[in-house]
Amino acid sequence: MSEAQHPSLVVDGLTTAFRVEGRWYDAIRDVSFSVAKNETLALVGESGCGKSITALSIMGLVPKANGRITAGRVLLDGRDLVPLDETEMEKIRGNAISMIFQEPMTSLNPVLPIGFQVAEALRYHTALAGEAARARALALLEHVKIPSAARRFDDYPHQFSGGMRQRVMIAIALACSPQIILADEPTTALDVTIQAQVLALLAELKSETGMAMIFITHNLGVVASIADRVAVMYAGDLIEIAPVEELFEHPMHPYTEALLSSIPRVDRDAGDLKPIAGQVPPITAMPSGCRYADRCPLRVPRCTKMPPLVALAVDPKHRVRCWVRAAEESANA
Amino acid sequence: MSAVAAASARGAWAHLASGIRRHKMASFGAGIVVLVALSALLAPWLAPHDPLEQDVLLRLAQPTADFPLGHDSFGRDILSRILWGGRVSLYVSTLAVLIAIIVGGALGILAGYIGGLFDRIVMAAMDVLLSFPTLVMGLLVVAMLGPTVGNLILAITLTAVAPFARIARAPTLAVKERDFVEAGRALGFSNLRLMVVHILPNVVDDILVMAALWLATAIRTEASLSFIGLGVRPPTATWGGMIREGFENILDSPWLAIFPSLAILVVMFGLNMLGDGLRDTSDPRLRHE
Repeated sequence: MSEAQHPSLVVDGLTTAFRVEGRWYDAIRDVSFSVAKNETLALVGESGCGKSITALSIMGLVPKANGRITAGRVLLDGRDLVPLDETEMEKIRGNAISMIFQEPMTSLNPVLPIGFQVAEALRYHTALAGEAARARALALLEHVKIPSAARRFDDYPHQFSGGMRQRVMIAIALACSPQIILADEPTTALDVTIQAQVLALLAELKSETGMAMIFITHNLGVVASIADRVAVMYAGDLIEIAPVEELFEHPMHPYTEALLSSIPRVDRDAGDLKPIAGQVPPITAMPSGCRYADRCPLRVPRCTKMPPLVALAVDPKHRVRCWVRAAEESANA
Repeated sequence: MSAVAAASARGAWAHLASGIRRHKMASFGAGIVVLVALSALLAPWLAPHDPLEQDVLLRLAQPTADFPLGHDSFGRDILSRILWGGRVSLYVSTLAVLIAIIVGGALGILAGYIGGLFDRIVMAAMDVLLSFPTLVMGLLVVAMLGPTVGNLILAITLTAVAPFARIARAPTLAVKERDFVEAGRALGFSNLRLMVVHILPNVVDDILVMAALWLATAIRTEASLSFIGLGVRPPTATWGGMIREGFENILDSPWLAIFPSLAILVVMFGLNMLGDGLRDTSDPRLRHE
């Protein structure tokens, strides 16, 4: 499961900028991580931290009118996707990399039968056509456990519940047996019980097919139940990446620590919840140094001057982007 | 792609058909339209006499059992001429509206989807077309290019393209922002596929409602142009032409003009009922009432 053995997808120094009132600002900055086959990497962070921008950048779906990837590489089996043109990317999207969206209620076309929508991806990316595509689409719907899939094949999205629709979305994403699946908050819009079912289904499908999964969420409970490794993002920076138990037990970045201590827990008094003081800086006024510096209790003068590099902790799988903690670690080591 | 388009069209038709069935006014209008269309299609078998056969002795003859709608100023059977005239009127207006739907719908969806400068140029061109009153546009085209069936169709098409482009563009602007289009993009679908397979079926309802109303307008325009002598050349029967011929004898033999006028009235009535009904059924605010 080590990322060094079979990195399926490598994101290296990815920087994506957006234009706000005529000026370009980095929405994500120097983001690097990799995902191996049969591995789930959770990308966590609060709203607006750049999780979805990272996903869109990997897919090559950054809106061209006011956004662009300014630096970095996205390597799929060693092939850089960033310089590819639209036609080449169309062959990769939905085929080698596919995406599951947050809103199952609106991500399906309301006027097309669901079976058709599953078969469409197959017809488009594979040699399957006609009855063969239909048969495979039906098999996929059965695979994601849609009850009486054959009878419901020609039903329309509005005839399905949210959880069932998300299963249809998963079937569509899986249609072409992708190497990587990008799940952008796939359970956020669902009931808790349905969430658990969908998470179990995703985990099962992942281990069956051996695909890599990047799971975007802001729900740390979901992270604990599905992820192998976790990457934490803050204000466009990837600040810490570690195996899931390691991150929960030994968070190193002060933001990760603060994030973990702000989760309500049944076994603790609600008074123990610690909100993080201050706010995320707006994209138009990002500090040049550490973007968390303003809110950070450990701040030293160097933090506000230079952006911290990714430092290795004791464990080489655990990396953190913090001057203070990196210095502590190297002192200990 | 054709199988794909067929599947999406099937969905839209099924939706519309069930809408019409549930709506009394729409089904009544649809019934009238189907009857008129059938009578025009089957004119060669239904018409009791040759529409061009003249009989000087029966000039302006009153309706009789054999000739229920009477004779015109050349002694031709008016019933047969109305049936045959319906063929020309419906053929010209249906073809014109069909071309307008395809051209206008494609332009509207493209303009809405692509946006930016392309959108502005296309819509400015449509505004120019819209600024011509239908009859003036008809006069211009037919006077410049000559009164042939083809030019008549061209004239009516030109007046109808702009409204269809507008009616297709507006929902495209809304639909292209919806999640399923983004999801389609994430599945690697090309822009063409997104427009044809995913946006078109969401827009087609609005277009078809307009189609019924514009078919009525097209029939009226064709009749108007024929009435002022710019339509299909005599002796071919058209409703507008028949009214004009009958107009000269409106006081002593009113049936010459009245019966073709009634034919137009009935079709317009049917199409407007159908169009209004379709609009009701495709308007979600009215759908549940």
